[in-house]
Amino acid sequence: MRRREFALLMGPSLLVMLGLLVVPLVRTIQWSFQKVEYGSPGDFIGLSNYSQALSDPRLGRAVLFTLLLTVIVTATILVLGYLIATGMNGLGKLRPYILGAMLVAYVLPNIVGAVSFSWLFDQNFGGAVNYVIQALTGQNILWFTETWPNRIMVMAHTVWHLLPFSMLMILAGLQGVPKELREAAIIDGASGRKTHFYVIIPTIRGILGFVCLITIMDVLRTFDNLIPLSPQADAIGNESIMLYVFDTAFRDGSAQLGLGSAINVLAILLILVCLFPFIRGLLKEAKAKA
Amino acid sequence: MIADTIKAPAGSVIKPAPRARRRSAASRISAVLLILTAVVMLAPFIWTALSVTKPTDVAFANPPILTGYTPTLKAFQDLWETTYFAQYLINTLVVAVLSTIVALVLGIPAAYALSRFPGYVSAILLLLALVFRSLPRFSVVLPMYEISKSLGIYDTTFALAAALVAINQPFSIWLLRNFFAEIPKELDEAAMIDGCTRWGTLRRVMIPLMRPGIFTAGIFVFLFAFQEYLTALVLTDTSSKTVPVFITTQLGQTLPMLQQAGAAAMLLTLPVIAISFVAQKYLVAGLSDGSVKG
Repeated sequence: MRRREFALLMGPSLLVMLGLLVVPLVRTIQWSFQKVEYGSPGDFIGLSNYSQALSDPRLGRAVLFTLLLTVIVTATILVLGYLIATGMNGLGKLRPYILGAMLVAYVLPNIVGAVSFSWLFDQNFGGAVNYVIQALTGQNILWFTETWPNRIMVMAHTVWHLLPFSMLMILAGLQGVPKELREAAIIDGASGRKTHFYVIIPTIRGILGFVCLITIMDVLRTFDNLIPLSPQADAIGNESIMLYVFDTAFRDGSAQLGLGSAINVLAILLILVCLFPFIRGLLKEAKAKA
Repeated sequence: MIADTIKAPAGSVIKPAPRARRRSAASRISAVLLILTAVVMLAPFIWTALSVTKPTDVAFANPPILTGYTPTLKAFQDLWETTYFAQYLINTLVVAVLSTIVALVLGIPAAYALSRFPGYVSAILLLLALVFRSLPRFSVVLPMYEISKSLGIYDTTFALAAALVAINQPFSIWLLRNFFAEIPKELDEAAMIDGCTRWGTLRRVMIPLMRPGIFTAGIFVFLFAFQEYLTALVLTDTSSKTVPVFITTQLGQTLPMLQQAGAAAMLLTLPVIAISFVAQKYLVAGLSDGSVKG
């Protein structure tokens, strides 16, 4: 392919990304060094947005909560996703129906699923889960106002929303495992458990890594579902980083754009650190191909 | 490989297990467990569907009332008559359709160009796509808010669609590139020897071959736009509000309004259930062919 052809084919898309992704990103970085309000040019104030952000205990809490959520949700999704995909792989005619039913949770807007989810747990709205727990144990759990019950509910919702996608990926991976490989393991006398640990999982580790990466990225960005699921997120220590940015930089009455931008930049750095192992792997691959 | 891609790109990924297989007790148990899992996954919708078809005075009663009431569609009627739901629904669809079309028109040539370049270009592209996908949305959306205000296009479906095209562009290009990469380069060369220009090759040879891949990418981009909450929350106000934003503004208000939010959620859920049943094989194909092998 000639250079000119490449430029013509690639150009429009590149221009759009440059104008609508790179330019805004540069603006955010600029703002993070400024005292600025919407619609007016800012004043350069050096690193004071950063020092203000880093000295706010709220940021620390948001980071800890987001990381905790990420670790637990990712681990749960990998284990459950693998188990369900394995079961699914052995399923016959029922499979398309069960797959379709499970996918609903993934294709629906996150916020809509979260609203539906919150009703199951909300005592004020006659939540079914509350009712069952109360009937069984006599306890009344405050899902929305106590830290840990709320965390568990948010984690359950996040798993619920992201699991179908991971399960599908793993299922697609399992179907790529050659039959001969499984048969060879059985002939060699491997138990079911050993076949999984020593044959199947190593074969699909690429996909498992990819699922892990996608899940980490999605959970680090948690925002939508906290709006209905954790209305008092800040007060009970269940605020995500994105919710904190939103509260600082956009919500009515507090438009600290500079501070919010600084938190954004810090969040980008955190995300890059979390993704570093994957990025290094990809760069190595790129070098090998070059 | 290529024959598979052309003839049976989608359904081929998930084949039902052979029917002749003996049904052991273990596989029965696993089938029952899976059905239970599917029911648990659907539970929030079943519950919402029940809540919005009850009369308002029993809809949110505690303990929940499950029998002895007359089901009603009043919440849907109110939703239609007392709110601008129809407008929000149109906005959501316009944004999703518009951004899907533009994303594909921009993305297909770009993905084709990239697929005909050496391997390391695609690895770097994959890396950039991942990094941009993982960026905190606010870091691009807040500046977009300011830019759209200064250009006078704030709160228009156009601005929202443009933002979503850009945000989803890295992912679309990357997915499409992986589909193009499965088509051998010899085909381009043959077409060009026969007198096609590069553009003609793309239009007459590649795009027809790529139809399933384009369909998969289209479904993904459509779903992303349709689901988007954060971007719509920041870039719209009243006239181009989308359904997800509308639903959250109904929360914490009166019980009838809450029920209307539930009704809106159900109206959004039903077509999506249809999508997830019809599109599942394309989604799987997109995920396995597109994202993993690349």
